[in-house]
Formats: sequence, structure tokens, C-alpha cells
Amino acid sequence: MSARIIRRFGLVATVAALAAASAPASAQGSLQDLLNQTRNVRAQEEQLNKQREQEFLRDRNKQSQRLADAKRAQAAEQQRSNTLSAQFDANEKKLTELQSQLDAKAGTLGEMFGVVRQVAGDAASTVHNSLISAQFPDREEFLQNLAQSKALPSIDELEKLWFEIQREMTETGRIVTFEGTVVTPDGAETQQPITRIGSFTAVSDGQFLNFLPESKVLAELSKQPASRYVSTAKDLEAADSGYVNATIDPTRGSLLAVLVQTPGLVEKAQQGGVVGYVIMALALMGILMAIFRFFVLSAVGAKISRQKKNIDTPSEDNPLGRVLSVYTKDTNVDTETLELRLDEAVLREIPPLERGLSALKILAAVGPLLGLLGTVTGMIITFQQIQLFGTGDPKLMAGGISQALTTTVQGLVMAIPMVLLHAFLASRSKALIQVLEEESAGIIAEHAEKARA
Amino acid sequence: MDFIAEPFRNVRDFLEAGGLIVQVLLVVALILWAMIFERALYYWRVMPTLIANTQDAWSARTDHSSWYAKKVKEKLLAETSRQLAGSVTLIKAVVALCPLLGLLGTVTGMIQVFEVMAALGTGNARAMAAGVSAATLPTMSGMVLALSGLYPISRFEHIVDRELRRLGDHMITH
Repeated sequence: MSARIIRRFGLVATVAALAAASAPASAQGSLQDLLNQTRNVRAQEEQLNKQREQEFLRDRNKQSQRLADAKRAQAAEQQRSNTLSAQFDANEKKLTELQSQLDAKAGTLGEMFGVVRQVAGDAASTVHNSLISAQFPDREEFLQNLAQSKALPSIDELEKLWFEIQREMTETGRIVTFEGTVVTPDGAETQQPITRIGSFTAVSDGQFLNFLPESKVLAELSKQPASRYVSTAKDLEAADSGYVNATIDPTRGSLLAVLVQTPGLVEKAQQGGVVGYVIMALALMGILMAIFRFFVLSAVGAKISRQKKNIDTPSEDNPLGRVLSVYTKDTNVDTETLELRLDEAVLREIPPLERGLSALKILAAVGPLLGLLGTVTGMIITFQQIQLFGTGDPKLMAGGISQALTTTVQGLVMAIPMVLLHAFLASRSKALIQVLEEESAGIIAEHAEKARA
Repeated sequence: MDFIAEPFRNVRDFLEAGGLIVQVLLVVALILWAMIFERALYYWRVMPTLIANTQDAWSARTDHSSWYAKKVKEKLLAETSRQLAGSVTLIKAVVALCPLLGLLGTVTGMIQVFEVMAALGTGNARAMAAGVSAATLPTMSGMVLALSGLYPISRFEHIVDRELRRLGDHMITH
């Protein structure tokens, strides 16, 4: 293409040269030259064109040759396409035929593979939750793959499925000790020997363990059962053969898991809330007061009984001595004045002996009342929660209910010792007051008579 | 032999079903009835001699009419009444405690029921039965124990009252 453009440019240049030559300033001789030159150029041009024409003709023959070639090739391909299409159809037919043949031959086997998948799925979920997986942690993956695979299981896989189910069954009946990972309550992982009773209970180092299905490890229970059960765990670990008393969780760990959730004494006390704390504080106060009064009354009682044995010299450190001193200070007074003075002295002595008793009585009465208060506030909390969340989840209501019941318990637990302590201290102080009120005059009378005799 | 073991087995089952509070109540019952028997034995065996001694002490006096005599009589009566009353006040307090203990058992039993409900839901009535029996048996035991103590108390109070009045009447003042 570019060659042709250059040639055309050449022509234009020639015409320009001719125009320049025809200028009036040109000489006679040069005109003849120009003529010759022009003729030459024309001859050359003609030559060139002829040559080109021939070239084109040659090309035309070549193109038709090519066209013929392409047409031949197309025909051949068409032919091949037809053959292949026929072959494809034939193959398709054969495939359908073979598939139906296969289906006919597989027959009940298809059903069997469905069953295999189902059994593998069931076994996978059993193995997932089974304590035995702590010892053999890689069983679940195989069973899951078998349960989910679309392909037909091989004989090897079928035999392995059988083996795994059989192994789970056999291990359920065995008591074994193996080395395994134990997660302690503070999160550290240690390798230590674990004793496993079937798929029910696992103990290690005298501690009961809980199986964590997700990570396939055993975790030490943060709250162990009562010590009498824990001691059987130690016996079990120590034993090699024969029969041992041991504790088994027949629910495969659920009971032990619930055990961790059950609140301890401290948690139960905390459930009482503010009212519970008030009750506990009052109870503590009451008990301290009762202990203090007990010691005071005992000391006074001891001093009074000592004074009783030694009436002649009344001392000022006890109530009886102070009452008696009314008489010994002035023995010549007449009986009516003496009685008045004695009554006065006794009245002075009574309040210190009765101090704190009414407070104890009030505490004994207040305990159940506070418990009732806690019950009512707990019920209010429960009903507020019902208003917000409905009755669907009993666990949401459990907080209020446990507060209600816990405060009642705390109130009663406070009231019962208070009633007892009050009864005990009241009878003690009553005995002392009786000595002062009714016996002091008699003691003086006996003493006076003896002195007179 | 079975007819001997049977009642014990029943008692054991009862104690297990009732829970801790029933066991506490059993101890309280033993203490209460020990105190009651002590008082009954005292009134039967010791009281007559005590009354007689007091009476003799009064009769031994020559002076039965002065202010001094009156005060001495009051003293004798006060001493006797103190000895006669003994632990009756404590018995009364323990009897008053029994229903409270029963109530405590009821509430702890209810807590047990709610714990079961929190763990298993409300569907499992059988699991709740243990808590329900732990709630009801202490109440019943507490009531029965309180009732059993009521008659001895009133009887003892009556005896003390009667004997003191009689003694006071017999100690003649002129």
C-alpha cells in the first residue's frame, strides 16, 4: 500500500517538472529534450504498468487456487464432523444402556449405601459427644467424610466404619488408663495419665474430668463432687485389677456438668441480694450481742453465787452485794423502811441484767419479716421479667425466684438461733433477777435472825 | 427379723426423702424429749423430797409471823419455784422453734425444686418430686414435733403452779 502512494507522488513530481519546463524563459533546444524525455518516461510507465498487470494476473490465479484449497478443506471437515456426531450419538446411546445396566445390577446396593451414609452420620454424632474421643481424637473426621461423600464407599471404608462402631462399643465396656491432655481450671494444658470408665466418667489425679466435644480434650471440673466421691476416684486410679468402689456418672457427663452450675454456699448467700446482706448483718450483730450478754450474765451470776456464800461482807462489784449493803450499812432501821430501800435497790439492778434481751427478741421477730420482704421484692423482680420477656424462659425468672426463696431461708436461719438465744439468756437473767427480787430480802431476814439469836 | 428391721427402714427412707432439715428435726426431737423426760422424772422422783425439805425448813422455824418470817418464806418459795421450773422455758422455746424449722425445710425444698426446673425445665415432674417431698416432709415433722411438745409443757406448767400454791398454803403464817 505504501509503495503505491510513493509511486503516485512520483507522478505528481513529474507533472510539476513539466510545468516548470514550459516556462517562457526556456530555450528552443531544451524543448526537444523535454519531448524526448517525456516519451521516454511514457515508455517506461507503460512498461511498468504492463509488468504490474501481469503481476495481478499471476496473483489472480494464485487466489483461485487458494479458494479451491479452502473449499476442499471445508468439505473434509464437514465430513469429519458428521462422523464424530454419529459417533457421539452412538456413545450416548451406549452410555444410557450401560447406566441402566449398572442400575439394574446395583439394585438393592444403592439402598445399602444410603444406609451406610446414615449409619456413618449417626456414628459421627455419637463419637463427637463420646468421652472415648479424648483417647482416639481422629475418628470423627473419617466418619463425617463418609457420611457426606457422594461417591460410593470402598470396601476399605466400609470395613473401617465397621471397625469404628465396634471400637466405640468395645471401649464403652472398658476401664483403661491412657496418657492424655487435661485442661486445668486456670486454662493450662498438661499431659497426664487419665483413667476412663467406659464412656461414662474420666478421672485424673483424683479429679473428675469433663469432656469438651469441640476440642476433644478433657477439662478438670472447676467444682468437684463431694469428697466421698472424689476419694473413690483416687481408689480407682490406684487399682490395677479386681473390683473397686467407684463413682460413675450414668448420664455420660451431664450430671457432673450440672454440678458445676449448682451454686455453692457463698453463691447461694449472694443470691439473697441487698435484703440478704441486711439479714446476715443483723444476724451477725445479734449473735455477737448474745455472746457478749452470755459472758456478762455468767460473770454476774458467778459473783452473785459467791456473794450468797459470804453474806456478812457484801461487795460492791455485784448486784446482790449492792442490795445487801443497803441493810448492812444501817442494821437498825425498821422493817418497812428496809423493805422500801431494798425495793429501790433491786429496781436499780434490774435494767442492766435485762439489757439487750428485748433487742434479741426484736431481731428474732425481724428475721422472718425481712425474709418476707426479700420474698416480695424477689417476686416483683420475677414479675417484671415476665412483663418484659414473657414466661417462655424459666431461667430468666430463676434469678428473682431464687432471691425470693433465699431471703426466706436467710430470715428463718437468722430467727431460729435468735429465738433460742433469747430464751436461754432470758431464763438466765430471769433467774438472777428472781434472786434479787424475791430472795435478797429473805437472805437479809435469815441473816438478821442469826445475828439476833 | 424383718418385722424388727422394717420400721427402721421406714424411718431411714423418711429421713432421706425429707432431706437435711428432717434430720435436724430428728436431733431436735431427741433433745426436746430428753428434756421432757428429765422434767417428768424430776416431778415424779425428786419433787416430793424437795417440797418436803422446804416444808421442813419452814416448820423448823419458831417464828412464823414476823416480817422476817414472810421474807424467808418468799425466799424458800422462790428457790423452790426456780428448781421446779428448770428447763421448761427452754422446752417452750424449742417447741416454738419446730414449726420455724419445718418452714425452713419447706423453703429449701422449694429451692431444690426450682434448681431442678432450671436444669431440666418444667416437663419432668418426677425429677421435681424429690424437692417437693423435701419441701413437705419437714413441715409435717415440725408440726408433729411442736404438737407433741405442747401437752407436756402445759402439764408441767400446771404441776409447777399447783405445787407452789399448795406449798405456799402449807407454809402457815400466823
